[in-house]
Amino acid sequence: MITLENVTKTYKNSTVALRDANVEIAKGEFVFLVGASGSGKSTFIRLLNKEETPEQGHIYVAGKDIGGLSSWKIPYLRRNIGCIFQDFKLLPTKTVFENVAFALEVIGRPRSVIESQVPAILDLVGLGHKSDSFPTELSGGEQQRVSVARAFVNRPLILLADEPTGNLDPATSVGIMKLLDRINKTGTTVVMATHDRGIVDTMRRRVIEIDRGSIVRDQARGVYE
Amino acid sequence: MPVKFDYLVRETTSNLGRNVTITLASIMTVAVSLAVVGASLMLRSGVENATKRWQGGIEFVVFLRIDATQQQIESLQNDLDQSPEVSKIVFVDQQQAYSEFKTLFADSPELIDSVTAEDLPPSFRIEPVNKDVDAVESLGLTFEGRSGVDQVVFASKTIRLIQQLSSRLTVGIFVIAAFLLGAAGLLILNTIRMAMFARRREIEVMKLVGATNWFIRVPFMLEGLIQGLIGAFVAIGALAAFKPFFQQWLPSAQDIPLVGGFQVSGGEMTVIFITLGIVGIAIGAIGAGIAVSRFLDV
Ligand SMILES: Nc1ncnc2c1ncn2[C@@H]1O[C@H](COP(=O)(O)OP(=O)(O)O)[C@@H](O)[C@H]1O
Ligand SMILES: [Mg+2]
Repeated sequence: MITLENVTKTYKNSTVALRDANVEIAKGEFVFLVGASGSGKSTFIRLLNKEETPEQGHIYVAGKDIGGLSSWKIPYLRRNIGCIFQDFKLLPTKTVFENVAFALEVIGRPRSVIESQVPAILDLVGLGHKSDSFPTELSGGEQQRVSVARAFVNRPLILLADEPTGNLDPATSVGIMKLLDRINKTGTTVVMATHDRGIVDTMRRRVIEIDRGSIVRDQARGVYE
Repeated sequence: MPVKFDYLVRETTSNLGRNVTITLASIMTVAVSLAVVGASLMLRSGVENATKRWQGGIEFVVFLRIDATQQQIESLQNDLDQSPEVSKIVFVDQQQAYSEFKTLFADSPELIDSVTAEDLPPSFRIEPVNKDVDAVESLGLTFEGRSGVDQVVFASKTIRLIQQLSSRLTVGIFVIAAFLLGAAGLLILNTIRMAMFARRREIEVMKLVGATNWFIRVPFMLEGLIQGLIGAFVAIGALAAFKPFFQQWLPSAQDIPLVGGFQVSGGEMTVIFITLGIVGIAIGAIGAGIAVSRFLDV
């Protein structure tokens, strides 16, 4: 599903954020990216949906080399990839329903699809009853559920999560992890950057550790360190 | 993927509503600059119409009698053709005189109805080799009193002055209008840029979930276009309202002998209005286009 071949990413200020990375992630896998702050986890994630482009190497997503992807095709790549973030990125002027519907609307899905899919996904994340609330009226955990719903409503092949529990307390984090686990069980490949030791150690999934841009460990059913 | 209509309407109107003051400022600038352009085009048309028979170096006109015979006309034509002092002759028959009359007085159908081609004299419009005032006059007067000739009419200094003034004024006004239009374009660019800044979160999410570049751009392009178009409509409305005063304020055909009225026909007004509409849309599209390609980064 995802392949990195000798990928190196250097930012303009000559920071090497990722150095000669070789990774193969199969369909349906659940992968943790761990490492200290600034080690290159977010860069790894941003390379996968082509928010960043590598200096060297090739990246294959769903069988396609995304390096040569022309800019007008990038949106179509991103329709196969859901993203969630530490800061949720919800639109404060839209309700829960509208936030999720927005993701379908802007890729041209018809009204009828929106009206059936959005309530279904909100039920899945356990927020069917908060459909008309605004993000500011929700707790952090609920907001993250909305953002998971938005990322998953289009049934992407891949879900990228960049420190999704970074702003949440441990109990709430567990709920979000259960949700991601459920999504993973539907066959969706999940790549999650985190430095939450507790989560990694309980889940016992594949762990890729990055240290100052280099992949130093790739362990099946791994632990934080 | 076609961009959905209700989405466009919603996004564009909410964009326009978000920055009411700056949107109004750009619309007003477009309107003022287009009104200036339109007014100068009207002035130019008016002067052109008023001095139609004096264009292209024509210095005097030999009006024939309405009852002039074909022989009289031909003999005069021969003499003119052979005269070494005449460089160009334009014969205007009754039918041509009538159609000119119709465009000049398009706004007064009663007048057109009361006149037929037979009421208007045919004429020769003459460009002499020597443009010196005395030479022109002595040449022209040789046709005065000839059989079949009613009268000889000379281009006055006033007419030359009006033509000169109008062409210089038009150039000057266009230079000013170009600056105003540039300012209008920059204002629209800035409005769109602010609208994009106000919606940067939406734009970020759109990119993330895979909205196409055009889907993201179109509402902003449309916003600029609509600002230009509204500005053009305001300018057109103002000019249409101002036109009767324009006609009154300029001298009428009766006030200045030898020229037609400073009329601008309905057809000419339509052309001017369409021009303004196109320029308005173009300014909006250019301003928004630059904003979208420079600052949207999609
Ligand atoms: N846009 C950028 N421009 C320049 N340097 C960057 C940029 N983004 C990240 N970096 C640098 O790249 C390195 C890796 O950053 P990042 O991928 O965000 O790490 P992590 O997510 O693990 O904290 C850091 O040194 C960071 O300062
Ligand atoms: Mg990070």
